[in-house]
Amino acid sequence: MPASPPDTAPLLAMRGIVKRFPGVRALDGVDLEVRAGEVHCLLGQNGAGKSTLIKILSGAHQPDEGEVLLNGEPVRLATPTAAMKQGIATIYQELDLVDGLSVAENILLGHERASFGFTRRGETNRIAADLLRRLGHGEIPPATEVGRLPPAAKQIVSMARALSHDARLIVMDEPSAALAHDEVANLFRIIREITAQGVAVVYISHRLEEIREIGDRVTVLKDGRTVAVGLPATTPTGQVVSLMTGRDVEYVFPPRPAVPEERSEERPEERPEVLRVEGLTVPGVFADVSFSVRAGEIVGLAGLVGSGRSEIIEAVYGARRASGRVLLDGRAVRPGDTTRSVRLGMGLAPEERKAQALLLDQSVARNITLAGLTRYSRFGWMDRRGEAAEAARLIEALDIRPPDPRRPVKTLSGGNQQKAVLARWLVEGRRLLLLDEPTRGVDVGARAELYAVIRRLADDGVAVLLVSSEVPEVLGLADRVLVVREGRIVHEAPAVDLDEHRVLDLVMVSTNEESRVD
Amino acid sequence: MTQNTGRRGFLLGGAVLGAGALVSACTSNEPAAQPSAAAAAPTTAAAAGGNDQPGTQVTIGFSAPAADHGWIAAIAKNAEAAAKQYSDVVFKPVEPTNDINQQISAVESLIQAKVDVLVLLPNDGQQLNQVARQAMDAGIPVVNLDRVFPDKLSYRTWIGGDNYGMGVAAGHYIGKALKEKGVSNPVIVEIQGIATLPLTQDRSKGFADALKAYGFSVTAKQDAQFTVESGTKVASNLLQAHKKIDAIWNHDDDQGIGVLAAIKEANRSEFIMVGGAGSANAMREIQSGSSVLAATVTYSPTMASSAIKLARLIAQGKGMSDLTENEVPQSITLASETITKDNAATYLPLGFES
Amino acid sequence: MTEATPTSVAKRPFLGKIGEVPHLGLVAALVLLAIVGLATRPENFATSSNLVSILALASTIGVITVGMTFVIIGGGIDLSVGAVMALSSVWATTLATQSYGPAVMIVCALLVGTGAGLVNGFLISYGRMVPFIATLAMLVAARGLAQRMSNQRTQLVQQANNAIVELSTTRVLGLPLLVYVFALVVALGWILLNRTTFGRRTYAVGGNPEAARLAGIDVRRHTMLLYGLSGLCCGIAAVLIMARTTTGSSTHGDLYELDAIAAVIIGGTLLTGGRGTIIGSILGLLIFTVITNLFILNGLNTSDQLIAKGLIIVVAVLMQRRGALTGT
Repeated sequence: MPASPPDTAPLLAMRGIVKRFPGVRALDGVDLEVRAGEVHCLLGQNGAGKSTLIKILSGAHQPDEGEVLLNGEPVRLATPTAAMKQGIATIYQELDLVDGLSVAENILLGHERASFGFTRRGETNRIAADLLRRLGHGEIPPATEVGRLPPAAKQIVSMARALSHDARLIVMDEPSAALAHDEVANLFRIIREITAQGVAVVYISHRLEEIREIGDRVTVLKDGRTVAVGLPATTPTGQVVSLMTGRDVEYVFPPRPAVPEERSEERPEERPEVLRVEGLTVPGVFADVSFSVRAGEIVGLAGLVGSGRSEIIEAVYGARRASGRVLLDGRAVRPGDTTRSVRLGMGLAPEERKAQALLLDQSVARNITLAGLTRYSRFGWMDRRGEAAEAARLIEALDIRPPDPRRPVKTLSGGNQQKAVLARWLVEGRRLLLLDEPTRGVDVGARAELYAVIRRLADDGVAVLLVSSEVPEVLGLADRVLVVREGRIVHEAPAVDLDEHRVLDLVMVSTNEESRVD
Repeated sequence: MTQNTGRRGFLLGGAVLGAGALVSACTSNEPAAQPSAAAAAPTTAAAAGGNDQPGTQVTIGFSAPAADHGWIAAIAKNAEAAAKQYSDVVFKPVEPTNDINQQISAVESLIQAKVDVLVLLPNDGQQLNQVARQAMDAGIPVVNLDRVFPDKLSYRTWIGGDNYGMGVAAGHYIGKALKEKGVSNPVIVEIQGIATLPLTQDRSKGFADALKAYGFSVTAKQDAQFTVESGTKVASNLLQAHKKIDAIWNHDDDQGIGVLAAIKEANRSEFIMVGGAGSANAMREIQSGSSVLAATVTYSPTMASSAIKLARLIAQGKGMSDLTENEVPQSITLASETITKDNAATYLPLGFES
Repeated sequence: MTEATPTSVAKRPFLGKIGEVPHLGLVAALVLLAIVGLATRPENFATSSNLVSILALASTIGVITVGMTFVIIGGGIDLSVGAVMALSSVWATTLATQSYGPAVMIVCALLVGTGAGLVNGFLISYGRMVPFIATLAMLVAARGLAQRMSNQRTQLVQQANNAIVELSTTRVLGLPLLVYVFALVVALGWILLNRTTFGRRTYAVGGNPEAARLAGIDVRRHTMLLYGLSGLCCGIAAVLIMARTTTGSSTHGDLYELDAIAAVIIGGTLLTGGRGTIIGSILGLLIFTVITNLFILNGLNTSDQLIAKGLIIVVAVLMQRRGALTGT
């Protein structure tokens, strides 16, 4: 008999949840308590069990032990539909929208308004429009195909879908990951509105500053167990981080190398230029982008989502057709020919790790060696021993955990997956690394390690071009920062000469323009 | 293979033109006795009567399934060759198809074009009955070739082979041969065409009925889809199933090539085999005397030549000169003849190339 | 780790190992079929000549299945295999080709097959057509061309070129030569898939084409080569079918594409690409062949075989899904 709190029963209580997978205890006694109308943040490193917990809450997994109570009543969430009927809606990190259907159809997916199997389009669109307006986004046309919307708008559609179920509890898994700065602000405004109506939100994010801003209370998971339940969100960051990791700092950047005065050829400005970009243009996306990166230098591209920064990286890599010139060590990169780019010495860690970089079913070793198959082969014949040795060396060098080269890469945490992607390019002869959001979805502990790896690479003479949505990351890691706004480079400065506010000013539309871009 | 084809280009080399050899006249009372091979224009008994005298100009519409099989290919070739013999015939074939729907619209187009007479080999008699009836109702006589329309009002004349008779002929040949050998309780294997077709069922029934007269019955039967490859597959499995076989009847000489290949591969020769349809290849095999193939029972595509001739006579309002009647008979069933080593030479010119 | 884990760790190796025996379900199915064969037709089934006959039957489509495995692992599908095999067999048995002798006939079949495969590949990778559509078009066109070239006739392999037929009639150590050809193709296919960069790229291209492209793999060129490889296998199969049936014909290989795809899927290859094995495909195919053999041995008809095939596809895929669920 669980003793109810004297005042009111919490909206949701999960007690002693245990979930086993073959060989792993993903959850090992987790408690969670969420009150109506609060934003409850769920924190934990990758692999701590957050995803499993959400899946149990949304009915996708069944717990092996433990109980789930809604308003004090035990419930069984056997299927996602059952969870939805109980008023629990989940917005996943990989948005589960159907690109080919309209906004309205997506919002009402699963409980379509229909008579005799014919959808009532007018009503569907009206309901959708109402929900979107309630979210402050009446401008999203309900009849548009979802596939045409930008990520931020998709996020809104997902949220509208959750609301359409009359949800009492909405679970948001990293909702801000795909959003730019101002869009996050809007997201928070919406969250405040819906919680004011008594709806509870379980909010998951790796960005601790967001949690301070939006959260009411915090629950921290570590290794499948709850280490803190319902802390106030005002708990000092250092304390939260140490609960999660045992460390107490949010960003740990490796020191920039000291400039050796005595040997002039070692000074950054004297080092050879590795990448030169001249007048790179993709009509409608970015225009006349020119810059260069020297050996051993980390250059950061700062800008909003949609400013063209990822597209610039892709064009530099030859993965996107563009006019203008890209030279690597003086040799031209051919648009559309990534094979040549790799041969010239480029490497790319793309933005969407799972969709663009990893063979999820394959082993860590095979993912690492993917870009260098010819290195581990002779006349097309794989040198399997050499390959295994190299993979093992890189796994050790980057401290990829668990250190098992044969493990499928999909079983690794986000940070370790990212390390595997980086490891792919840590081979001799790499001249330039392009890193697009290298720490997205990576937990605090692994971030610091990734930063160290990237700095070490630069110290070895590799040129690095970095894109990140997180301004502190760009400022902390890069030597030089290029600010991109609306497809143009609007500012360039050494990182030490900039601070977060200055960069945010620069990436947003300048203040003397009256209109705001949504 | 046909000998009359020169070496053409690499690509065209596949076009083996042996069709000329097939043309003959079966309206005749005598079997075509002269072994005039190759593309020679057939000059048969019809020339003796008055039927071949030029008459009024007639247009003959022709529709048949697409040729995916030597026998059907021979039908189309024979029909065209027969039509070409007559200066008073305009031959109007439509695109052959295996799609019922397309054949219906093809026949409709021939009705629209107001041809004088139609020769139809339907993909399926039942399903094309309606459109044939339309033609008849529009005053266009229909010569129904082989697969019969169920409704007698849908055709003026039917000409076709005797599937039941084929089975009977094969059954008698095998029954007699085994009786002479003194085999009791023989293992008799039957390799059918497509099992679901009525013609296959008729053949099997005739075969069983004839064997019954000798006190024998079929030990095992399997269908082989009328294709060479399927013939090989089915035969090699059957040979495994039966370590000792006394006789095989294979319904179709086309798939028989595959059956013979499987027999050769298994190195078996303890039995006699009878074929079906009467392809030139089977006849040569029989003639050689070294093969297990001892005989084949005909189901001759020459019926197409005859159908054209009948159509012409009907359109011109003539009867058959060798018969007493003033009009062409309502139905003509070809006899299934048995070709053995002794008479193979006589039949060879009538055989179709598979 | 916590104190609760030791028990689960202790249990895992045993269960884990059983799960790791590759294709356990397929082998079990084959054993089951063999038991059925021994029970129903003890005097026929287990004879060496019957087993040889099963292998010989499996050879033609087996070679095609090897090519199909590559294409499907590479994220594609090839519906044209049966038709391309028919076209190759017809082209190789035209009078013109036959006049040059058996060696040229074989080369001709291989070239025609590879050529048709490369056309598929070109349409798909550079013409950006959906594999299903491109190879469907090839299926129709190749059958049509085969019919036209052969004038819808069955073309016999001439006596002078009997060397081809000897592939089927000559036996070494009790097995017809074509079974060795089949075994060789399987062995080479396995090596190519598991021991070479080509195989590695095939998995990458099928598993995540975007990741493969960004890792510097020329995805389009590789895709084209995969279809070329499938075409080459069709050419080899054409030689085998010529040997077995002593003919080239436009009717050869009817519905082979479905049998080959079904064998590959039953063998555990993902239809979406990126995962699969040659051995699984071959086991899948052998299951089909043994079923046909069992049915004919027992005097059952074609319709029953078709029903059985359908059931087996469903059961095999269901079993695989269960395996996948418990496996991870």
